[in-house]
Amino acid sequence: MTSGLRKAHRYIWLVLFIAIPIMIVFATKNLSFSGPNSEQSSTTTFTEKSTKAAFENELVKVALYPTNVELILKRPLKNASCIVYAIDKNDVKTAIGQLTTPGKYQFKVTDLPENILIYDEIKDVLITKTNL
Amino acid sequence: MGHAYELILWNKYKKGYDKIIVLGMVLYLVLFATVTLTTNSETTIETLVLRAFGSLAFVMLHIILIIGPLCRLDSRFLPILYNRRHLGVSMFIAALIHGVFAIVQFHSLGNVNPIYSIFTSNIDYGSLTNFPFQVLGFFALMILFVMASTSHDFFLSNLSAKVWKILHMMVYVAYALIIAHVFLGTFQQEASLFTIAILILGFVILAVLHLTTAFKESKVDNNKAIEKEDWLEVCPISEIEEDRAKIFTVNNERVAIFKYDGKLSAIHNVCKHQGGPLGEGKIIDGCVTCPWHGFQYLPHNGQSPPPFTEKVATYKLKLTNEIVYIKPEAFEEGTEVEPCNYK
Repeated sequence: MTSGLRKAHRYIWLVLFIAIPIMIVFATKNLSFSGPNSEQSSTTTFTEKSTKAAFENELVKVALYPTNVELILKRPLKNASCIVYAIDKNDVKTAIGQLTTPGKYQFKVTDLPENILIYDEIKDVLITKTNL
Repeated sequence: MGHAYELILWNKYKKGYDKIIVLGMVLYLVLFATVTLTTNSETTIETLVLRAFGSLAFVMLHIILIIGPLCRLDSRFLPILYNRRHLGVSMFIAALIHGVFAIVQFHSLGNVNPIYSIFTSNIDYGSLTNFPFQVLGFFALMILFVMASTSHDFFLSNLSAKVWKILHMMVYVAYALIIAHVFLGTFQQEASLFTIAILILGFVILAVLHLTTAFKESKVDNNKAIEKEDWLEVCPISEIEEDRAKIFTVNNERVAIFKYDGKLSAIHNVCKHQGGPLGEGKIIDGCVTCPWHGFQYLPHNGQSPPPFTEKVATYKLKLTNEIVYIKPEAFEEGTEVEPCNYK
C-alpha cells in the first residue's frame, strides 16, 4: 500500500471504532433482552386489568381502555407493512398506528372502537381482525 | 501474473483454495440448519434459508476483512491472501441469495414494485431502534455487487490501480451498513444477549487488529533516517538477508532494498497489481516476486520481464564501510540503475 492508502485505512478504522459502538448503544438501549423462544412477561400481560373489552388469538392480544388500545404482538410478522385500524360503530376504519416487531403497543383513541383490524397495505391482505 | 485476460487463470493452488471455500460454506450451512432445527423446531424453511445465508455472508465478510491485518502482522497468513478475491465473490453470492430471498419473501407478492417496497414498507426512519434495516442491507448489497463484478484483473487494469483500490475500499462502507443492518434487523426480530455478544466480539476483533496494524505501520513510516550529504543511512548490509529486502521509508514512501547475487538494488515497495508489499517478497529466478499474487519485477530497473509491462520507481544506492545509503529522490518508473556491488 502507498502511504496515502495506509493513512486512509487508519482513519477509516478509527471512525468505525468510534461510530459503530455509538450506533449499537443507541439502537439497543430501548430493547429488553430474552432468549430465542422465551416470551417476555412484560409483553404478554396487559398493563391494566380494567379493560373495557379484550380479544386474543394466536397472533395478537388486544385490550380496549377508555382512551387507548393496547395491542400485544406475540410473534414476528411475515408482512412488510402492518397498519393497525380502529373500526367504529359505522364500520368506518381509522389508522391508529403500525406494527413492526413483537411486543406491546399502545395506541391513543378518542372514541372506543368496536374492533381492531390489522392490514397489510402493500400486499393488500387482511392479517387479523378482532372480534370484541 | 497474466499478460492476456482470461476469466480465471486457474492453477493448482487456486483450485485447492476454492475447494476449501465451497466446503467451508456447505459445512457452515449444514451446521447452521442442524443447530437451528435442534434448538427451535418451529423455524420455517424460509427463515432458515434467510438466516443461514445472511449469517454465512456476515461471517465470510469478517474473515475477508481479517486477512489483511493478519498478513501484515504475520507473514505465515500470506497464503490465505492469495485468492481473497474468490472468497469475496463467494461471500457476495451468499449475500445475494439472502437479499433476493428476502425481497421475494417479503416484498414481491404485492402490487408494489419490490424495490420500492423495501424503502416504504417501514417508514420509521426517525427511530434508530425501529429503523428500516432492510434499506441498509440493500445498499450494502449494491456495493458488494459493484465490488464483485469489478474484481477481475480486467477492471483493475482498465480502471487503474488507484481508482480500483478506492472503489474496493468501499467495502468498509458496506461493512458499516451490514453491521447496522444485522444489529437492527436482529434486534427488531429477537433481542438476544447471545447474538449481541457474538456480533460485538466480531467487530472488536476486526477493529483491534486493523488499528494495531495501522499504528505498527505508522511507526515504520515515522522512523527518522540520518542524512549525510543528500544520502540517507539505511542499515548495515549484514541486516539484509540474501534474496530478501530491507524496507525503508523515504519521503513518506516505502522502498524495498534487495540483496542478491552480490548486488544491492532498490525499488518502490508497492506492487502495481494490487499494492502488495514487494519488500516482503523475495528474489525468485532473478526477479523480485510480490508475496501477494506473484507479480514480478527486475530489481535493477523495476520493470516486469517481457511481455509484461508493469513498472515501479527505482532508487540509487551506495555502500560505505558496510553501511547501505540511499538517495531519497526516486527515478522514473522503470529507470535502469546500476546495482551496488558488495562482493
